[in-house]
Amino acid sequence: MKSDIARKLDGYDALMGEIAAARKYGSDFTPLRGRLQDAVARLHPHRVALRVSRVIDETPSTRTLRLVPAAGNLPPFQTGQYITLFFDLGGVRTARPYSISSAPSQTAFWEITVRRVAEGLVSNHLLDLGPGALLESSGPAGTFVFNPVIHPPQLVCIAGGSGITPFMSMIRETVQRDLPRRITLLYGNRRLDDVIFHAELNELARSAVQFDYIPVVEDPPGNYPGRRGLIDAPLIREACGTLDDKVFFVCGPQGLYDHVLPQLEAMAVPRRRLRCEIYGAPANVWEQPGWPAEVDRHARFTVTLPGGRHVEAPAAVPLIRSLEKSGWAIPSLCRSGTCSLCRLKLLSGRIFQPPGVPVRSSDRRFGYIHACVSYPLSDLEILL
Amino acid sequence: MADYEAIVIGAGNGGLTAAATLAQHGVRTLLLERHNVPGGCATSFCRGRFEFEVALHQLSGIGTEEKPGPLRLLLARLGVLDRLELVPMDDLYRVVIPEVIDITLKPDRDATVAALQAHFPAHKDGIAEWFDLLWGLFGEVIGAFYFKDPQVTREKYPLFHRYALQTSAAEMDRCLKDPVLKTVASAYWTYMGLPPSRLALTDMAALYFAYSEFLPYHLRGGSQALSNALAQSVLDAGGDIRFNCGVRRILVDDEGVAGVVTEAGDTIAARQVVSNVSKVATYVDLIEADRVPLAVLDELRQARIGPSAFTVYLGLDAEAADLGMTASTTFIVGDTDPDRIYARMFQREIGPRDGMLLTCYNAIDPGFSPPGTCQAALVTLKYGESWRDVPPRDYADEKYRIAADMLSAAERVFPGLRGRVEEMEIATPLTHQRYLGHPQGAIYGFDHHVKDSPLFVANRPHIRGLYGAGGWYGSGGFQPTLESGVAAARAVLRHLNRSEAR
Repeated sequence: MKSDIARKLDGYDALMGEIAAARKYGSDFTPLRGRLQDAVARLHPHRVALRVSRVIDETPSTRTLRLVPAAGNLPPFQTGQYITLFFDLGGVRTARPYSISSAPSQTAFWEITVRRVAEGLVSNHLLDLGPGALLESSGPAGTFVFNPVIHPPQLVCIAGGSGITPFMSMIRETVQRDLPRRITLLYGNRRLDDVIFHAELNELARSAVQFDYIPVVEDPPGNYPGRRGLIDAPLIREACGTLDDKVFFVCGPQGLYDHVLPQLEAMAVPRRRLRCEIYGAPANVWEQPGWPAEVDRHARFTVTLPGGRHVEAPAAVPLIRSLEKSGWAIPSLCRSGTCSLCRLKLLSGRIFQPPGVPVRSSDRRFGYIHACVSYPLSDLEILL
Repeated sequence: MADYEAIVIGAGNGGLTAAATLAQHGVRTLLLERHNVPGGCATSFCRGRFEFEVALHQLSGIGTEEKPGPLRLLLARLGVLDRLELVPMDDLYRVVIPEVIDITLKPDRDATVAALQAHFPAHKDGIAEWFDLLWGLFGEVIGAFYFKDPQVTREKYPLFHRYALQTSAAEMDRCLKDPVLKTVASAYWTYMGLPPSRLALTDMAALYFAYSEFLPYHLRGGSQALSNALAQSVLDAGGDIRFNCGVRRILVDDEGVAGVVTEAGDTIAARQVVSNVSKVATYVDLIEADRVPLAVLDELRQARIGPSAFTVYLGLDAEAADLGMTASTTFIVGDTDPDRIYARMFQREIGPRDGMLLTCYNAIDPGFSPPGTCQAALVTLKYGESWRDVPPRDYADEKYRIAADMLSAAERVFPGLRGRVEEMEIATPLTHQRYLGHPQGAIYGFDHHVKDSPLFVANRPHIRGLYGAGGWYGSGGFQPTLESGVAAARAVLRHLNRSEAR
């Protein structure tokens, strides 16, 4: 019918000529079969196959793994970004994020540094790997990055413990490429032998004009000549001089944020000059504000999945872990509530998500939750 | 034996309305989505304390309760209207040509004509004539197609017969003459991606008619609120949804479509499939080459992949008013020759002569971001080719460099913008390609030249049981893609002989 109408319109013949020419000379997409997404895959591969090429002892509890591509090239990353490693450990398919500590200009390998955690299923598995072991990772991800469009080129980096890793990448890149930036690193640790990269950081500070290193040890040996205690406002002020031409980066365990962020706020550092890296789900979720007192943290609930299958889920364990433990693989990257890859839809039941988890307003209304920081408060029914 | 009567691949706008319509008519329906949430383009993401709207700038076709537009009626039929908070915009748009003009138009034809006539008194008659032409022409389109007149004759539809196959520039030049006036009166061309010299006059008429008569709208909670509501309607009507479930093959046998194979390797049988995947990927990647009809390859060769966009999402630690964001929609136009702006859409660079759009919903929805802040999306159209060959190691630096240039261009209208940015995310054509799966990151599907009109490229099944929904099978944008899903579902219903189908 429409073609009958078209025939009577002014300009019809000329347009038919245009169509005939386009069909004759137009570009054909069929040679791109299977390659339509190549340009994206070069930047953001879904998975990267890696091989451990070296294992470097850093401290009594930490090792660095040097990872080379098992095939092809590594995708690019920005300093401060992380990769997520995927594991299948005895039928439990899980994942853990690790900041890349090597510099992006080093394109032959990535390095990650892992601290052994008591009874840490994944960290113990990783730290026992030797050269030649194969791993699978995500592409690099994360927004803990320096943005030259909006950030002043003077960085104050505040690290705690293994939170040093993204900063190593930033510092190495700045020094190696002689970038027009200045970095001051305040690095807090409990004991002197916990300090990762101590020798390299001292050496970089000695040789590079862009970099200052201020280690702070809470409980050092009696004769330790350096700074003792915690990173606090007077130290930050002393290290920074002026504050309003600096951008602050903070990465470390929860205790570091609890201690440092109020001090930065008291010094009136605006949020536009402050970036905090994510660092896992909260340790004792029942201590978070908003946890309902009537729910026993030892309670166990039943989760019903599509197809009517059931999984048991303790209240105080992130939902994603209970699902993984039962053999379900849930996509995830950051495992800290932020990347949103582990979203799933709650069809019925109640969960607890700690305050500050960036859940979109309509997701709250329609029950889409971030499984890595969601804790069951009742029996649940979910859609994957 | 079929597992489902119908499978919808992709939960973008078209896939969602297709699945909701099918499920509501009792069709056993499965909606497959490779991401973990519904929406496709119609989505949002969080950075810091901000939630950024990805794609929606001005929702068209809504109208008021008293004078409902087609999209309001569609959303009511799908049962989602009550779940949405629709916020009408006070302004059609603001246009700024730095150092030349700064004018804000109202979403009302008479007010727009009066405002333009006051600014350009020498062209008073031409302005009236131009808007008479747009409204007259689109009125005929509505009569002929929306109300499906069985006799579309030249006598009844003279403007349509004369102009349906013409581009916009000739009549616009004749009526409006002044290049500044033309720039102000045609700023919406970027919503279709082609300049007036290439944009069909009927498309230009549709843009101005739809937004003026039915008002531009904002959705509280962003377009994700609509996507989530539509997905809920699918479930409420008994449809199934599987998230994190991409499709790698559409199965075709001698009787037509037979089902799909998921990325995970599951085969799901169905004789009706609606593809909300790009037409290119549907026929080039998802269907065995031997099963692709030659007529489809002809259609694909005729088409040209449309523009993508370069977008900077800004979370700002200042109120919208303090940054000079007085209107929710501001076109910043650096050149009064739209053909030159179009030529720059093929280049990666962004500079003061580009055209760009800044959308700031806080201007009409103060709660859109936390108190004392606002958020804005600064966007310009760019064809994807220019980003395809950036070496991966240079990609991040290139994003920052071009975003900085873009902010500099925008700061001519919004001084001090850069100093208040708390969160920033940059999306290039490759970003759009990554999240949408669209070749070259195209956001409106193919270019919509006159020759690509549905008069010539009808969206009908080339393979029995296979239907298309979304911007690649008709027009791009929210209203057209939402409507396209319903149209695809109706075709399925007719095929299944469901009496409920209109």
